[in-house]
Amino acid sequence: MTCLPEKTDKKLGLLIDLNICVGCHACAVNCKEWNTSGITGPMADLKPYGDDPSGVWYNRIHSYEFKKENEADRAVYFPKSCLHCEDAPCVTVCPTGASLKRTEDGIVLVNPDVCIGCKLCSWACPYGAREYDATAGVMQKCTLCVDKIYDENLAEERRVPSCVSTCPAGARHFGDFADPNSNVSQLAAENDARDLFPQMETKPVNQYLPPVKREKHADKKLTEKVSTVKEALAKWAKLDFTG
Amino acid sequence: MHPAISVIIFTTFSGMGYGLFIWLCANILAGSGLSDDEIFSGTALSFILVSIGLISSTLHLGHPERAWRALSQWRSSWLSREGIMAILTYGPMVIIGGQAYLGVWSSSLVMPMAVLGILGSVVTIFTTSMIYASLKSIPAWHNVWVKIGYQAYALSSGGVAYIMIAGWQHFMTVVGLLVLALVVKIITWIYIDKHRGQYKREDALGLPDFGKAKPFEPAHSQKNYLQREMGYELKSGRRALMRWLALGCGFILPAVMLYYGLPLAPVITLICLGGMMAERWLFFAEAEHVVGLYYDKDSV
Repeated sequence: MTCLPEKTDKKLGLLIDLNICVGCHACAVNCKEWNTSGITGPMADLKPYGDDPSGVWYNRIHSYEFKKENEADRAVYFPKSCLHCEDAPCVTVCPTGASLKRTEDGIVLVNPDVCIGCKLCSWACPYGAREYDATAGVMQKCTLCVDKIYDENLAEERRVPSCVSTCPAGARHFGDFADPNSNVSQLAAENDARDLFPQMETKPVNQYLPPVKREKHADKKLTEKVSTVKEALAKWAKLDFTG
Repeated sequence: MHPAISVIIFTTFSGMGYGLFIWLCANILAGSGLSDDEIFSGTALSFILVSIGLISSTLHLGHPERAWRALSQWRSSWLSREGIMAILTYGPMVIIGGQAYLGVWSSSLVMPMAVLGILGSVVTIFTTSMIYASLKSIPAWHNVWVKIGYQAYALSSGGVAYIMIAGWQHFMTVVGLLVLALVVKIITWIYIDKHRGQYKREDALGLPDFGKAKPFEPAHSQKNYLQREMGYELKSGRRALMRWLALGCGFILPAVMLYYGLPLAPVITLICLGGMMAERWLFFAEAEHVVGLYYDKDSV
């Protein structure tokens, strides 16, 4: 049923720390690796070795340059996948019931056996989280590795989405946002976590930690620190312990 | 948004079909003295236009053979509601057309059917408009003018088709409706032009307090589904040309030709339908999707 559940028991999702992400695309690659042979696979590629390769990815790594007055420019790597929104517009527009939000954990999924491939859900999503598989004629999206996170054959620490387990920088966290004591809820509460595009009123479950704010004239402060260290070293060199 | 021919035909043909059927039903109720032949050919044309539209709308589906499943989610989905209303509205259409064809005219059946026909058509057109107007992610569609517009263009283009079927009795009303629909179209364009750029890339990123963001490295080397489907680039010269074409053929030319009583109703109907297709092409081509903010658009 494409009506949204009033409340989900859990709110499973990702917390992505933009301050830590190095933009290596490993999460996107491992996502594809796991999911192409997972329950919603294959993730088709068209002309993979041609001039115009194109294919389905559940996770894409954008990168932006931010310019602000009186601050050095900064680069922000920006992984983007389905945010498993509480008010997911992609679910309610679905005419067939193929799109659904699970009551037990809030994961948004597409049932490929019911999807008619009308693409309206991808129009409704402000984030571009859904990509159409032209070979299968159905819509595809991030499943939060639903076939991995509940797999009791895996060691418990491996029961996280593949993008999280593969991140070499530790920029991605997985957990239950409905539980205020969970790792993700705690990190979100301590660190000014952000919704993407709050104006769209989708109530995303996934949260993003912004880059650390720079103090104004941070460069000057750094220079001051360096000269303090230099002075200290010079004193040590003279074995001068005064002050 | 990518202007796919299947959806352009869907909304323009079915719009004209329902508009024509509303005109027929209203005239049956008003006792305008339409002949059985006129009512039959009118309902038959409505039936054909609506059916071409609906069949066309299934052509872009990945799985047209599963289209019946689209009738199941009427509780939440405007697309589902549209499908159901379109099928229900066939009822009065077939009954009225069948009565006229067989020449067995039962007023006690046809009159309520005409009322239901008007209601069904208006609601179907509304559900069609809501498929688009409900999408917050596409600001050019997420406004009241889209809802008003779909009704106005259905009535004006259907009115032109009505003259072709049933003669010139109400031609001034149709001219008036064409002018009204033209005004609605122009207001819609003013509205969407004024509201362009309300969402910024920094909003989409959830980082409005870090200065101006611009992409410095693409997320992927080639265009993906999102850019092909949602990232249609309309050149400003093309926009002006298509806007004039839509106004000229959709409203102005039919209104002028009707006003001067040119005995070319089928030609006028075709010009009007062509103009509506230009209008609908623009409806898609002009509509920017906010996902562009993650790519090359600074604001939408």
